[in-house]
Amino acid sequence: MPHPQHLVNILTGVKGATEMKDAAPLVKIIKKAARPLLVIGPQALEVEIDGKPFIEYLVEIARAGKIPICATAHTKKKLLELGVTPESTYDLIEVINSLKDPEWKGVKGEGCHDFVLFGGVRTDLGNQGLSALKHFAPHLKTMTLCKYYYPNATFSLPNYRKNEEWKALLEELIKGLK
Amino acid sequence: MKGKKKKEEKDKIIRAEDQWEPIGHTPMPDVSDLRNWDRRLMETYQPFYAPFCDLCCLCTYGKCDLTGTNRGACGIDIAGQQGRIVTLACCMGMSAHAGHAAHIIDYLIEKYGEDHPLNLGDQVDVECPNIRTVLGLKPKTLGDLKKAVQYASEQLVHVLSSTHTGQEGDAVDYESKAMHISMLDHVVMEAADVAQIAGFKYPTSVADTPLVDMGWGSIDASKPVILVVGHNPAASTEIIDYLRKKGLEDKVEVGGICCTALETTRYSDKAKVIGPLSRQLFFVRTGIADVIVTDEQCIRTDIAEEATKVGTVVIASSDKACRGLEEASDKPTDEVVKEMVDKGKHCLILDHAKAAEVAVEAALKLAPKRQKAKTALIDKAKAQELAQACKECGSCDVVCPNLQSIGSAVKRLAAGDFGPFTEVFESCIGCGKCEEACPQAIPIFQLMQAVASWDTWKCRAGRGPIMDTEIRKVGAPIVLGTIPGVVAFVGCSNFPNEINEIADMVEEFARRKYIVVVSGCSAMTLGMKKDAEGKTLYERYTGEFDAGGIVNVGSCVANAHITGAAMKIANIFAKLPLRANYEVIADYIYNRVGAVGVAWGAMSQKAASIATGCNRLGIPVVLGPHSAKYRRLYLSRKEEGDWTVMDGRKKELVDTEEPSPEHLAIVVESKERAMVTIAKLCIRKNDTQPGRQIKLNHYIDLYKKFFGTLPDDLHHFVRTERDIPMFFKKEVKQFLEEKGWKPKPALTLPTLIGTYDTEVPIEATIR
Repeated sequence: MPHPQHLVNILTGVKGATEMKDAAPLVKIIKKAARPLLVIGPQALEVEIDGKPFIEYLVEIARAGKIPICATAHTKKKLLELGVTPESTYDLIEVINSLKDPEWKGVKGEGCHDFVLFGGVRTDLGNQGLSALKHFAPHLKTMTLCKYYYPNATFSLPNYRKNEEWKALLEELIKGLK
Repeated sequence: MKGKKKKEEKDKIIRAEDQWEPIGHTPMPDVSDLRNWDRRLMETYQPFYAPFCDLCCLCTYGKCDLTGTNRGACGIDIAGQQGRIVTLACCMGMSAHAGHAAHIIDYLIEKYGEDHPLNLGDQVDVECPNIRTVLGLKPKTLGDLKKAVQYASEQLVHVLSSTHTGQEGDAVDYESKAMHISMLDHVVMEAADVAQIAGFKYPTSVADTPLVDMGWGSIDASKPVILVVGHNPAASTEIIDYLRKKGLEDKVEVGGICCTALETTRYSDKAKVIGPLSRQLFFVRTGIADVIVTDEQCIRTDIAEEATKVGTVVIASSDKACRGLEEASDKPTDEVVKEMVDKGKHCLILDHAKAAEVAVEAALKLAPKRQKAKTALIDKAKAQELAQACKECGSCDVVCPNLQSIGSAVKRLAAGDFGPFTEVFESCIGCGKCEEACPQAIPIFQLMQAVASWDTWKCRAGRGPIMDTEIRKVGAPIVLGTIPGVVAFVGCSNFPNEINEIADMVEEFARRKYIVVVSGCSAMTLGMKKDAEGKTLYERYTGEFDAGGIVNVGSCVANAHITGAAMKIANIFAKLPLRANYEVIADYIYNRVGAVGVAWGAMSQKAASIATGCNRLGIPVVLGPHSAKYRRLYLSRKEEGDWTVMDGRKKELVDTEEPSPEHLAIVVESKERAMVTIAKLCIRKNDTQPGRQIKLNHYIDLYKKFFGTLPDDLHHFVRTERDIPMFFKKEVKQFLEEKGWKPKPALTLPTLIGTYDTEVPIEATIR
């Protein structure tokens, strides 16, 4: 199992995420999901990849994969500015609390989600939230799109030292989902 | 343990024959006496667990893998294990305060005797609301406070024992135990602070306490400098006394870090607050202090090693933090001072008067010898030169608990751009891990000397209990909702971006005429931001417990005055008896008092117990993002939850359909989200229509400001059209129509009493 980016915050356990370095298998996994959900956190407003805000990549992923969005923290305002109305607005822990319930109706009222993608959440909070899902939501799988490895996800991108590789993967993912 | 003898023992302790108030149902409650109340709360606010790791490592049956449906060798599952760890954390937190209380009370009894009266001034008659409510005792003397701490300590043994392998195993029962011990945390905190006020004659019954100097720049390094660190003021007040006795108060600088700073400035307005906990390592490494006197809690465990590096000597003054030092309590003062001055020897002195004498005498002798070291701070040119060694390998970044990009900031500093590194310093939690990890051995903490502001700030000295007269004035507006809420920013302030975020949030709510209360390191941090005219928030807002006030109650142990104020509202305004009447008082606060705690930078186990104690009392707490590491929250599901309460006057169950307060403990990720959440969590079922209008006005306004629309969940909090704020009436009505909103049932007296199994009759909620 690889090491997470922020060593102090994240203690690993016995069950770690599968590291995903290629977009192709990810595309397959996402397409296979019956009710995916994309959770967007506030770091997506701060982080830029080659001058383009990370949130714009996430919006493109959502559009390409027809994935509903849950806006957390204060991301809703920016999403509206980008012309995207998120299907729901919760804070991260609230949506995770709902996702734990397999009977939850989901953000579109069609049933609980079976695959949840996360992007733009602080690594410490994100990994703790993913731990809640790892332990208490066996009915769903999780995936992180940030540039760091999240051990408590089901699937995680690796730690990218340089943004180029991260950008390439995100762009391939968007292309593959279209 | 129940029984006749036990009852007699309790009756004796609480002086049952005293008729000041009738005795309620739970005098000196045992571990399970309030279990049904806790379980009722947790029906609505279920524990949410985010395990820190997959394993249990606590006994030699393990390590045990607790993932999935796996159980430990003892049979525990992952939820039970999380409840167990939370209970342990609360026991640790409570024990730190109980230890502090026990020590300071014994110290003061030694000085003044058991019968020393608890004089809190002419504006405070309800002297100890937590002790009155939990124990049923109206304490009059230091000896009475000791009884309260002894009872709490006995309960601690029971709760701690439940975490042993093969004892408790159910998550909700663990949570009830965590709530029990955390309720008692507020008892022991109250005992500690009231003892200190009575013993040290701290300011009390006044709102306008002095504004004291704050910041490392407020210290005159040309004088002998004594740094006091920790929480317990026994040694620091002795230092002030010794300086006064010798006429040296203007000739020696005494500055504090963490809560001892707040305590010492309550005792002497010449003492200074150097800064919060996060500035400890930074300041020690400046070498400005000639002598460091440590007491207890939140002291760096390597403080002696760090002091040695800069030629400062350390006196440890608490048996809880001996730091491996040789005890010199019985050695002659001259001999100890000589060893310190000649050999730089640190020591343990458990006699506080002696520690004070040694500290002052050593500082007087060391200061002239250390003048060069004390002023040899790294300047910008030197910092830039040292930063050249940075290879931007990122080793510092991956160990930063606050997720800062330190490496790139050091690299920019090397190029002469000091901005990013200044930002790193301002958000630094002071752990020093970056420097430890640097393969180039760049002295990152010394580099901070070049970017740290040497400005001075102001902090209002802690004022202790909220006055009964203030409660009489604000009780009705708070309960009716026309003062929209009481927001308490408490404890550690380190994470995630301390100065700006705490100050911004405090100002937002003070400006909106909430009552803002602060304590501990948050109280210090708040004073470290100035406006364009150079004024801190303390200089711009009144210190009164009233709409738009910013009240510094004091140190960590003064947090009990915040829960105490909520209890006093029930007692002084609503005339409910406090005596051993915990369920009724907690129920009142939960349904009527729009109070919210905010622990934005919570770090310690003490923060866990303080917050959990608030939760049992029906006060929601908002935590900063890193606090997910506490592993447990209390969350509702607003759409799916059961929001039924009893209408106390009609004695009918009513499904209110209103999720208020929505959560009891929640982590949020950004200050913007925090502010919106705080405003929402101030909503209570008992709000009058004008009160609800005011609360919704702030909720809508903040939501629109930060999220750009009306709140998605607004329809849950509008009971009738008369709740709709005038300013937003048109758009809210349109929103409600789209949501298919219908008016909600009316209530005359909301209460949880009667919705669960309790001996308390519904009539007890009505006065």
